[in-house]
Amino acid sequence: MDQSLTRNFCIIAHIDHGKSTLADRLIEMTGGMRGDDIREQVLDSMDLERERGITIKAKAIRLGYEAVDGSIYRLNLIDTPGHVDFSYEVSRTLAACEGAVLVIDATQGIQAQTLAHIYVAMERDLEIIPVLNKIDLPGAEPDRVLDEIESVLGYDPQTVVSISAKTGEGVPELVEAIVRCVPAPKGDVQLPLRALIFDSHYDPYKGVMAYIRVVDGHIFKGSNLRLMAQKTEFEVLDTGCFIPEPSSLNQLLAGDVGYIATGLKSIGDCQVGDTVTTASKGAKQVLEGYRPAKPMVFAGIYPTEPGEYDGLRSATEKLSLNDASFSYEPESSPLLGFGFRCGFLGLLHLDIVRERLEREFALSLIVTAPSVRYMITKTSGQTVIVTNPTDLPMPTVIEKLEEPWVSISVVTPSKFIGPLMELVMENEGIYKHTEYLGQQSLGELGQRVKLEYDMPLRSILTTFYDQVKSRSQGYASLDYELQGYRESRLVKLDIMVNELLVDAFSRVVTPNKAHDVGKAMVNKLKEVIPRQLFKIPIQAAIGSKIVARADIPAKRKDVLAKCYGGDVTRKRKLLEKQKEGKKKMKQIGSVEVPKEAFMDVVKLSS
Amino acid sequence: MTNEIALYIHVPFCRSRCNYCSFVSFAGREADIPAYVNALEKELTERVKGENLSSIFLGGGTPSLLSSDQLSRILTTTQKLFNMSKTVEVTLEANPGTVDEPYLTAVRQLGVNRLSLGVQSMDNETLMLLGRTHSTAQASQAVQFARNSGFTNLSLDLMYGIPGQSLATWQDILKKAVQFEPEHLSLYPLSLEDDVPLNSAIRRGETPPIDPDQTAEQYETAEDYLASEDYVHYEISNWAREGFQCRHNMVYWQCLPYLGVGVAAHSYIDGHRQANTHYLDEYIRMFQPGALCHPETDEEIKPETQLAEAIIMGLRLNCGIEFADFKDRFGVDLTSRYGQEIEELTQLGLIETSDQSIRLTRRGRLLGNEVFWRFLPECEDS
Repeated sequence: MDQSLTRNFCIIAHIDHGKSTLADRLIEMTGGMRGDDIREQVLDSMDLERERGITIKAKAIRLGYEAVDGSIYRLNLIDTPGHVDFSYEVSRTLAACEGAVLVIDATQGIQAQTLAHIYVAMERDLEIIPVLNKIDLPGAEPDRVLDEIESVLGYDPQTVVSISAKTGEGVPELVEAIVRCVPAPKGDVQLPLRALIFDSHYDPYKGVMAYIRVVDGHIFKGSNLRLMAQKTEFEVLDTGCFIPEPSSLNQLLAGDVGYIATGLKSIGDCQVGDTVTTASKGAKQVLEGYRPAKPMVFAGIYPTEPGEYDGLRSATEKLSLNDASFSYEPESSPLLGFGFRCGFLGLLHLDIVRERLEREFALSLIVTAPSVRYMITKTSGQTVIVTNPTDLPMPTVIEKLEEPWVSISVVTPSKFIGPLMELVMENEGIYKHTEYLGQQSLGELGQRVKLEYDMPLRSILTTFYDQVKSRSQGYASLDYELQGYRESRLVKLDIMVNELLVDAFSRVVTPNKAHDVGKAMVNKLKEVIPRQLFKIPIQAAIGSKIVARADIPAKRKDVLAKCYGGDVTRKRKLLEKQKEGKKKMKQIGSVEVPKEAFMDVVKLSS
Repeated sequence: MTNEIALYIHVPFCRSRCNYCSFVSFAGREADIPAYVNALEKELTERVKGENLSSIFLGGGTPSLLSSDQLSRILTTTQKLFNMSKTVEVTLEANPGTVDEPYLTAVRQLGVNRLSLGVQSMDNETLMLLGRTHSTAQASQAVQFARNSGFTNLSLDLMYGIPGQSLATWQDILKKAVQFEPEHLSLYPLSLEDDVPLNSAIRRGETPPIDPDQTAEQYETAEDYLASEDYVHYEISNWAREGFQCRHNMVYWQCLPYLGVGVAAHSYIDGHRQANTHYLDEYIRMFQPGALCHPETDEEIKPETQLAEAIIMGLRLNCGIEFADFKDRFGVDLTSRYGQEIEELTQLGLIETSDQSIRLTRRGRLLGNEVFWRFLPECEDS
């Protein structure tokens, strides 16, 4: 097929603005699937993605479409994830496209990630088609949002396509706009092969399946190919595209989007961003890739029962096969035993991984307080990288400590500027810029503004995102981007339960906050650890200095007072429940700590 | 002693429901008492096979809402059906507000020889909070009526751990109760299921919550005080003058067989625990002459569960469990089978052992559940 009839595009949107629903409509409309076959949100294949309404892994689908001009077009829709943690995956998707459909919710307007995504799309010179979605909803404010789009993004309201992805209204016009506006690919099928890997997943039968965009040349089943950066060679076991189920093809040509089955055993052997060429007479020049996703947030993951370590190990291995941005390495803790120090893109990513490990592999896990990557120069001149707060050296041997900072942008109605400003300041943020979006006011909520700050990544690791939501009554949205390292003065705050240091609770804080954070932590633990047969002191300490303390008094009474013939079975069942409850506890020395305590303490803001 | 069985008769009627009650009881259904008595007679006829009867306990609800005639019919029926000696202990639970001297005299003459009065408190404010319909004055009167009617085995129920109740108030209540010189005392800490009115009041903040430490304090105070007044503490919640332990309840704690009749009544016979329906209408319908009657549930207690129950119930008794008795009955040597548990619990100061027996310590009596669950067999279904 002629490249001129191919359109490669993606949909970018803030979370919940209707990207997946639009993808479903497009698939349905172009006959990729029909009626009952279409499960809602076809592109979100993991259960978790469906439940949380977020798309985690990008997928590509080929759609056939007969346009008004009578030609049959090949539309390659590449789905993108919609959460801030996964913004780097958006950029890898964009590299495979010539156009992007920018979806904006008519009830909400431009949000933080709308802006983040559009900037990346513009950098990549993509043709952007602005779309106003959810126009069928009673709360839609098309005029106000169009004004915002015009004044902030500079698009003439006349060119914005108004649709309802839910009802299908306006979607035919959108598809025509895609055909009309998105440029056809411009590769050369005669040149040596160059294809960009923009995603991958592991298939137990075919090895790593690489999702690729062919820029020049062509690929056959059976071709011998080479990864230019990694220099790995392999034979193409299968090639094809998704419609949306995988469908084998004889070849992929310049301009095409599809998959190749590589037979490789780990996605580490086939890195996203690499360029594929032929094993012999290959291309000389690699395609512009992008930086591989680097974990920014780290936490220890341990089995509740030490016996489950092997299960955890094989589960993390399996999971990492399909998630290149998830890293893990073995570590051990005096109290929690053997586990892994894992790296994630952000807190949501951490949450998703934990949930998948527990759900798909039936594990019971303890996750330690999340940490960032600290760079420490010791007085000896030695440089160390610390991702586990427990490993933070004593202040006396630290010459310089650097931590990652992020620039954050918050889009909010002006009414909430005050509370949000306060929140950012409490979290060591530095104000940079305010920009008003559009001219129209949202009534008593005021006009919408974009606020920009710099903050330590550490500060947004616990409750910051939730706080942004709650202090703005749910109106504000947040985006962040890694900025670089800055020098800080920080200390390690330890928690001791019954005189035993619990490394899982250790965290890094600024010295002036140590007392407050320590107090909040010991009080929380006092609340969540049930009273036991002896008194349990809970202390927060910096080095040997105790900064906060709470005692859990010994339990004095726990007995079935009335026990006669009427209810022996019922009383026995209560005792059985008590016994089962003990099993769900993590033993710390002689103290039984409910698993939830770890999460509750982790979730305390610093 | 062979083939002996105890009989429990449940009488679920009450004038009103107390604010803490989650037992199977019905207020405002007194009109159904005659039909209920018929059903009881039918159930007895169906289920009794001439066993030797060791005790009868009429519990509730408020059994003293039965007229002496109704009581007479029930007791006559049991006499006919069981092999029953004159010395059988027959207990009637009574609400102090429902009895007068002629009634108690009649009841005594029918062969009821033990009266258990639900005094609950000797403090009117507490009685109001609990939603009891009687006053402390009525309680003293009821005690007087009982003595005048010839009851020489009188038990009083009292509650402690009441929200907002101080140690001093509790001591005063205990003292007043002891002044009645009851032969037997049952002390229960207030414990509330989720859906009872008093718990709702606590949730709404109208009543302070139960303070478990204060409750423990009150319990230990009672232990000391009653010991000084010559009451023997013979079970976690029960005290008696020497020789006045409740023989009926001892059957439960020793895991011996009993038959329970009436709505929601439980039985334990030949290693099976059975329960009747807890719907009053269904019970009355089911036990009509000619109807097919059967307990609603029948659970076979597996040998290892029987063993655990015997330990859990047996440890409730202050005398504890005699190793030799236990071995005779179950063929199991407690010290070798539960060596690890016993050692751990001894270290925790919750149990103590002698050459002959094992029992809860004073601390263990307040922390009994921590002892009991350790003797449960591993659950198969979890």
